[in-house]
Amino acid sequence: MIVKAVGHRLLQAVLVALAVGVLTFLLTGMLPGDMAFRIAAGRYGYDHVTAAAAEAVRAELGLDRPAAMALGHWLWDLLRFDLGDSLVSGDPVVEEIAHQLGHSARLALTAILLSTLLGLPLGILAGLRPGGLVDRASLVLATALRAVPQFVVGILLILLVAVGLGALPVAGHDSAAHGLLPALTLALGMAAVSSRVTRDATLAVVRSPYYAFARTKGLPERAAFLRHGLRNIGVPVLAYQGVQLVYLIEGVVVVETLFAWPGIGHALVHAVIARDVPMIQGTALVMGLTFVLLNGLVDLACAAIDPRRAQA
Amino acid sequence: MLGALGIGAIAAFALAPSAASALDRTLSIVAPWEIGSTDPSKSGYVFTRLEVAETLLDADDSGQPRPALAASWTVSDDRLTWRFRLRDGVRFHDGTPMTAEAAAASLRHALGKPGPLKQAPVAAIDADGGEIVIRLSEPFGPLPATLAHNSTLILAPAAYAENGQVTQVIGTGPYRIERLEPPQRLVAARFPDYWGAKPAVERIGFLAAGRGETRALMAESGDADIVFTLDPASQKRLRGNRKLQVHAVPIPRTVALKVNAGHPFLQDVRAREALSLTIDRAGIAAAILRTPDAAAGQLLPPSLPEWHVAGLPPLGRDIARASALLAELGWTKGADGILERGGQPFRLTLRTFPDRPELPLIATAIQDQARAAGIDLRVSIGNSSDVPAGHRDGTLELALMARNFALIPDPLATLLEDFGPEGGDWGAMGWTEPRMAAVLAELRDATDPARRAELRRQAVTLLQAGLPVIPVARYQQTAAVSKRVEGFTIDPFERSYRISSLRWAP
Amino acid sequence: MRDSLLNGRRMTGLAVLAAVAAFAWAVPLLAGADPNRQNLTAILAAPSWAEPLGTDHLGRSMLARLAAALRLSLSLALLGVLSAAVPGVLLGIAAGWRGGWVDRGLGVLADTVLALPGLLLVLLLTALAPGTLWTLYVGIALVLWVEYFRVVRATTRTLAGSPQIEASRLLGFGPAYILRRHLWPEIAPVVLTLAAFGAATAILAIAALGFVSVGVRPPTAELGLMMTELLPYYDEAPWVLLQPILAVFLLVLSLNLLAGSRKP
Repeated sequence: MIVKAVGHRLLQAVLVALAVGVLTFLLTGMLPGDMAFRIAAGRYGYDHVTAAAAEAVRAELGLDRPAAMALGHWLWDLLRFDLGDSLVSGDPVVEEIAHQLGHSARLALTAILLSTLLGLPLGILAGLRPGGLVDRASLVLATALRAVPQFVVGILLILLVAVGLGALPVAGHDSAAHGLLPALTLALGMAAVSSRVTRDATLAVVRSPYYAFARTKGLPERAAFLRHGLRNIGVPVLAYQGVQLVYLIEGVVVVETLFAWPGIGHALVHAVIARDVPMIQGTALVMGLTFVLLNGLVDLACAAIDPRRAQA
Repeated sequence: MLGALGIGAIAAFALAPSAASALDRTLSIVAPWEIGSTDPSKSGYVFTRLEVAETLLDADDSGQPRPALAASWTVSDDRLTWRFRLRDGVRFHDGTPMTAEAAAASLRHALGKPGPLKQAPVAAIDADGGEIVIRLSEPFGPLPATLAHNSTLILAPAAYAENGQVTQVIGTGPYRIERLEPPQRLVAARFPDYWGAKPAVERIGFLAAGRGETRALMAESGDADIVFTLDPASQKRLRGNRKLQVHAVPIPRTVALKVNAGHPFLQDVRAREALSLTIDRAGIAAAILRTPDAAAGQLLPPSLPEWHVAGLPPLGRDIARASALLAELGWTKGADGILERGGQPFRLTLRTFPDRPELPLIATAIQDQARAAGIDLRVSIGNSSDVPAGHRDGTLELALMARNFALIPDPLATLLEDFGPEGGDWGAMGWTEPRMAAVLAELRDATDPARRAELRRQAVTLLQAGLPVIPVARYQQTAAVSKRVEGFTIDPFERSYRISSLRWAP
Repeated sequence: MRDSLLNGRRMTGLAVLAAVAAFAWAVPLLAGADPNRQNLTAILAAPSWAEPLGTDHLGRSMLARLAAALRLSLSLALLGVLSAAVPGVLLGIAAGWRGGWVDRGLGVLADTVLALPGLLLVLLLTALAPGTLWTLYVGIALVLWVEYFRVVRATTRTLAGSPQIEASRLLGFGPAYILRRHLWPEIAPVVLTLAAFGAATAILAIAALGFVSVGVRPPTAELGLMMTELLPYYDEAPWVLLQPILAVFLLVLSLNLLAGSRKP
């Protein structure tokens, strides 16, 4: 079964790589504006982008190659794990992505951690006492948080925590402290939903016959919850984390811009503006494959928690 | 249990990245510009501003060339051979001495890449003893200023790969790069073997933060010691902050409308004049830029006294006169208030770009103001390259740009590029004014100061009369500086952040 | 524990949504101010009789701009969600009903689209024609359809083998009857929930794109763009900045309430 699941994810990965390659070639080919001028603007800035600079770029990069040939080259290079060089900076795409992906991963991991710390206990407490104070308060809080754009949450956090209290730095990425506010911005949005998912899962478990049985057979509340409750709550919550990954991978653009965080979303936006095709393909490929990989891991984790799923 | 696990994980995570903040007394600088590359042709400005790398020449506050890595220079009588004598005892950050060969090689690399040096008529660059010899194919007055441009900075031979790409920045400046993480981060420390005076600040950290509000908040929270480029609203707020000092200095950058003077609607100078008369420069300066004296009555600013003609009547707003001029040209108001001529509405596309956040705002203001005279402008916000590309393929009608007339400290070079006989990507389009070409050509070679002053006056007057570009507003460079730091000044030519002359407040 | 289609929470959501929509479409009828008309001598004015919601940083009427922005967000979200739901539901039914290679092929397609960064699609599409609305709309639809497809396919597949449908089939009823009688009642509430969530997502996404200056361009009145433009004035004129934030808050809140308790 696991072999089949892994095979499925592998197929998905191959298809994603193909789709990224073909789509970027098709769409970037259709984009308006002269590519050489665009790249020159990305390289030399708005003070120095001139027709002469654009001609130099065109000559250097051989931009007149037909698209199909370029696509073939890209796929061939991809098979050799070579993503090419950025048209703007001239550095290998792999190096740039490694730097940016590292920062994004740091941010994402901290965000997941924080959202779990916030959402899970709150959701379990709410689920154990449905209709209670915690349940109602967390519902209101979650509903409100989900209705506020991320950058507004981020600005509010900066104003309150960084400028008001002086407790954390506003922006930058030198130390771990720098990562907390952007991660918290992401985590609050995720916790708003995951706390409700946890709450519903907890409620379903508590009301289930097997849980009632565990308690009637005399297990203390705590033992019953730890042994029979937690594991069953884990599966839907974990499966939901898989869904949230998309949100994380893409939601970072706004947060990265606001907090001057050099992540992969920021890189993708800049690459599209500058028509840096190898960078667009590289970042999109890495984002897509990360998504497939993480979802594969979530599948495996779910199977590990709940052996019935692995046989299903 | 879960909480403990989480705290453990956060602690482990916290230990992972290098804690640069632990190093004491790092001067933290925040500016909007990202470090795109290590190559001087692309990101040279970062390295000269942070005083990591230096150029042969420098410029004083009025734009006059002054010695930097070159201690002195001479020009031959035929004005075709320039000799630059290099300073002795200069070392690159890798410890190797700066030789004339190394400096000449750096300049030849710069010559091979797009940039101001490529636009100069350079025939050859050679090393000769302790001198650099630059031979020109025709006289070019602004050469010293060109050699003060950041794309011509001097790097060690080890900085270049075989293909001419710069792989690391090994300069000669008072600060040596410790850590470079494009696109946003650079940390540099004092270079012990610097040839000049030893700076007081031992370490600097640079962060590129694209959003104005982020930068302003970093100044407010005390995260940053120096924050460059404040948006108008934040400027007002930060002035009230007791821990900060806000500096503002006019820079030779003008917001202007580039006009396609070959377009049938704009061919007649009266049409361009009418368009100019619709613009409420005072309103834009006061409400959008929040600097009432930022209204631009002529193209070049008073901060370039050689190029600012004091007696010239300033451009202003007069809707009645604009309407009268347009009526003279046969335009009549249609039912929707838009002018028409021969069944065609007076409709033009105004291109601009968001790299400078005030440009889209000013564009929408101009759009609204032009409508008062019946001119219907469509604002199209795209990429900065749309302007030169539109110039080349002839599709450009109007563009709002922020043109720096001192890209190199001598504005003549930029004017030659913008208003030469064929116009320029960021200057005149479809504008034929033979007198201008003659004036600029003479200015390029003339040496007599009185004659040069007269020619400059003529050039500015011709631009004001012909309006191939319509000036709108002027820029200021702004910075919020923490009171922990003393001795801060802004370089009006934006060549340097002048960190080496800063000191910590006692 | 399926929510009833019209419980109290949903009614509240519907009422708020209706009120917001009524405001958005009534303002231009009652006060005909032009959302792009500037008055640089009266910037950031406080609310008054003439300008009930004050003016923005270019002296434009906030009332007119807010209404215009709400109309834009609502129309774009509605259109995007509809364009995502129709093919998503139809393909979902086809895949769930037919099974076999149709199911597998569509499933692989959906998996691939899901893993493609939606951001990439939206960025590339908006770059095709910068500042236009149709690219945003196509982007939203392209990203959202997968969700409908996956949910409807799963529901259809479970139902396809159910005894009721078997019975109907044996009684000789055609697919149209089965679809209407058995499938649609099961799918409809799920689709409604997805649509409301999708609209909320779309509204937040458009606002976020405005923030990184990829989406709608000035001078168009759009909620995210308005927030971004007014952000620097948070200290000087907080009431102006609060308006678009509050508008997004109400819109998304009402849609989330309308959607029901959580995602299916």
